[in-house]
Amino acid sequence: MTEAVIEKGAAFAGAILVGVTALFQLKNDWAAQGLDALVTKILLGLMAFGCVLALLAALNVLGARA
Amino acid sequence: MATAVGTLDGHEAVAARYHDVDPVYAETRDLRLTGFILFLLSDCVLFSSFIFAYVYLRTSAPAWPPFVGGHQLPWFDTSFAAFNSIVLFGSGVTMHFALENWKHLNKRKFNLWLIATIILGLGFLLGQAHEYSVVGISWAGSTMGASFFTLTGMHGFHVFVGVCYLTILGIQANRGVYTGSKYFGLTAGTLYWHFVDVVWVALFFLFYLW
Repeated sequence: MTEAVIEKGAAFAGAILVGVTALFQLKNDWAAQGLDALVTKILLGLMAFGCVLALLAALNVLGARA
Repeated sequence: MATAVGTLDGHEAVAARYHDVDPVYAETRDLRLTGFILFLLSDCVLFSSFIFAYVYLRTSAPAWPPFVGGHQLPWFDTSFAAFNSIVLFGSGVTMHFALENWKHLNKRKFNLWLIATIILGLGFLLGQAHEYSVVGISWAGSTMGASFFTLTGMHGFHVFVGVCYLTILGIQANRGVYTGSKYFGLTAGTLYWHFVDVVWVALFFLFYLW
């Protein structure tokens, strides 16, 4: 097993764990009011998007070079 | 107030405590929040300037990665970057948990999640240092290297400042600077940390996935 496979495996598992947790927190905070809550929701959503990118990278869908 | 709040459920109790402050504090809290968000937006402009410069350089180059001395420069290591990104994104989640536990008056869990955030932030910085040592390009000599080290270096500096910031916040919180009603510093620290995470989403895509 190469180093890259281990890194991608860890990234894959981590992306699912962190992404799902971020989305779950986003759902929990959805009803929260105020400017800080609004900014937090936007940033949490973008972070979950980052997890999707990392997941796609781990699966070689994105960033796979010939 | 404590008895009244104790009869409410979690979120309502947090909201009740949030509003249970004197009017002067409430007003300055809103002003400070607006000021802090303006600071984050100005930081966003700073990163955007360098990002647009990178996009311009890349799209106007005849080949990417560019050729230097007759040899094409290597692509960056996507698998390690994906792993390191998850370390940073994970720290965003732990910081969110830290703030939520502070709001729910659970100081012990706040400390644990805050320490986890700091460790993950340091882990990300170590990962970046490792990447710099093996990346195979330098700052000088190519637009790719200059863009990469400028943007990731600037981001790394933000992460370093964030780690120091969170450490100071942790010390302040344990010295009684913040309460269940007055914790603007912790809110600002959390927003800053989320912002640093989101900037990395853009950099991760631009340098490793595009």
